[in-house]
Amino acid sequence: MTQSIITQFLSGFSVVAILIIAALGLAIIFGVAGVINMAHGEFIMVGAYTAAVVGKLGGNTLVAIPVAFVTVGLLGLLIERGIVQWIYDRPLETLLATWGVGIILQTVTKLIFGPELYYVGSPKFLAGGFRVIGRLPFPWYRLFLVIVAILLLALVFHVIFKTNLGLEVRAVRRNRAIAGCLGIDTARVDMAVFVFGSGLAGIAGAVLAPIKSVSTAMGFPYAVDSFMVLVLGGVGNLWGVAAGAGLIGEAETVLSFIFNNVIGRLLVFLFIVVTIRLVPKGIFGYYERR
Amino acid sequence: MSGIALADAITKKPVRRVRRTPMLPRWALIGGAGVVALIGSYPYYGSNGYMLSLLGKFLCYAVFALSIDLIWGFTGILSLGQAVYFGVGAYFVAVSLKLNYTLTHPTRYGGKIPDFMEWNGLTAVPSFMAPLMSLPFAIVCALVVPTLLALLFGVITFKRHIYGVYCAVITLAESLILQDFIIEYQAYTGGFNGITDYSNYVGAAFLWFILGVTAVFFLTGRVLTHSRLGTVLKSIGDNDVRAEFMGYNVANYRIFVFCVSAFMAGAAGAMYAAWVGLVSFLDTGPVYSVEAVIWTAVGGRGTIIGPFVGAFLVKGAEFFLSGTLAEWWQILVGGLFIFVVLVLRDGIVGTIANWVRRRSAGSFRQIAQEADRKAHDRQRDWQAEGATRHGEEAR
Repeated sequence: MTQSIITQFLSGFSVVAILIIAALGLAIIFGVAGVINMAHGEFIMVGAYTAAVVGKLGGNTLVAIPVAFVTVGLLGLLIERGIVQWIYDRPLETLLATWGVGIILQTVTKLIFGPELYYVGSPKFLAGGFRVIGRLPFPWYRLFLVIVAILLLALVFHVIFKTNLGLEVRAVRRNRAIAGCLGIDTARVDMAVFVFGSGLAGIAGAVLAPIKSVSTAMGFPYAVDSFMVLVLGGVGNLWGVAAGAGLIGEAETVLSFIFNNVIGRLLVFLFIVVTIRLVPKGIFGYYERR
Repeated sequence: MSGIALADAITKKPVRRVRRTPMLPRWALIGGAGVVALIGSYPYYGSNGYMLSLLGKFLCYAVFALSIDLIWGFTGILSLGQAVYFGVGAYFVAVSLKLNYTLTHPTRYGGKIPDFMEWNGLTAVPSFMAPLMSLPFAIVCALVVPTLLALLFGVITFKRHIYGVYCAVITLAESLILQDFIIEYQAYTGGFNGITDYSNYVGAAFLWFILGVTAVFFLTGRVLTHSRLGTVLKSIGDNDVRAEFMGYNVANYRIFVFCVSAFMAGAAGAMYAAWVGLVSFLDTGPVYSVEAVIWTAVGGRGTIIGPFVGAFLVKGAEFFLSGTLAEWWQILVGGLFIFVVLVLRDGIVGTIANWVRRRSAGSFRQIAQEADRKAHDRQRDWQAEGATRHGEEAR
């Protein structure tokens, strides 16, 4: 029993990786622009469909990642310019508008690709797996996911802390008005952040496509999980994403193994609610100065 | 005019004049009575059973939308999981009706338990569900349990100043988990298929009952939001920090209105289950919750009539258009979300109200009255005591 829980714990790392990959884009958008993007799940879905198309054309996941980044990034640009830029000051209504965007994206995708499921194969060199402890195989692709999650975190850290854009983003996040006074075009920063976050959602879709059958409704559960990660980890701090994803991913895997899926999710939800009752701004958001 | 007013204010005993709109303006009374009569008399002039069932359904939707309007439109709490309360209410009544139905209608295999229990290998009604055999008890549960759930939720979140987007996201997850729960424990809830095949109450009498309850709820909503309490609620919706500084316990107000709203949602769900005869996990899900939010937004949040109008319009359009439009209907709904947020912010009723207000500010009668009052003022200026400047005299 103990050993199998340990194996579950190890395989939980891939769940954590998935959560980090899915939540990063949302975290950036929510953390900086203050917008909950309800269409986030649909962005992931579009990314996955992009990967499916790339797969049909003969490319593998490594090709799909940049393509999905660009595709979904452009989609994000379109939606930011068309809709979201008018309602940054009304976060609750952004939530509704982006929900509408999500519905439209789902339906349009269904109209284009039809209702059937798509399967995207994982790259050839990542086929198979290795054994960790006991007899549980750990697929190479899961390890790949963990590596992608770490690389994406590193990428986002680099962008936020080492580039000029990141400096502006951090300034806007700290104090929007003063940042504007210092000559930072805050609207442009919001746009850049939204596009970058959307692109990350696209990458998430491309990477997650091989482990999940691609359908129009695939995104929503990821979106909700991502929200939970943000709520638990705290908004506006990248460590919060890692911590939230780590706690939720591991807890859910282990608890689902001990009880069942639903009880596991319920317990995790209760855990989240109790945690934010104690630290309302999330684990890492709490100490942040606003 | 202002000089006189100032002088009056200083010299006379201060009278606090609060211009309040009447609780029930005449047009609302007449219109409301008209709508009630129109719907209530349908069994006499209409013979279409489908229309009848739609009417009862829409009334439940309207109550559900009202429950969202109270918390979102007035108090500014956006819940994306309001269907949890609707669904809990609906499931209590549905399970009770189903249990009673199976007593007289044994299943194909002769069992006197609901079919979904039999499929899942239960041989008798589990003891914790046995009390639900009594319909009155189930109805009480359908009303009380949602309220208690809302109380619990409110105490956990609002007391710690968790609201806004966080609240929306948590309620969303809540309803998603309830949905999973219902699907997973299908032996007790009917799972994916929901609860069907029980004797539901369709007919004129029950339509009148639903209509009566709906009318009472809408009147309650009006009384609640038109009172002092309603003013506080609106102020919380406008600026909760300021309301807190004014000395109001914002958290308690939020909890209170959230409980009232959950009660209404539970009642709506209970009536819905009894009327429609089919309850499924979809009735507790996030999609349904957000859909109801959009009815409220279309009708006009922050107005009492809005939810009614919105529920009837959107749901009516869905029933008549979604068949012919198929997939395009979904795109239309998505567009509606965006349209309501970007363009029609106050919804249909709110926009009409704004328009009337603006018009009445510049209407001919208003201008004439204004002129009259000015003439009156001028007349008083000519009176003897008006020789000194008003205002100076008072000092």
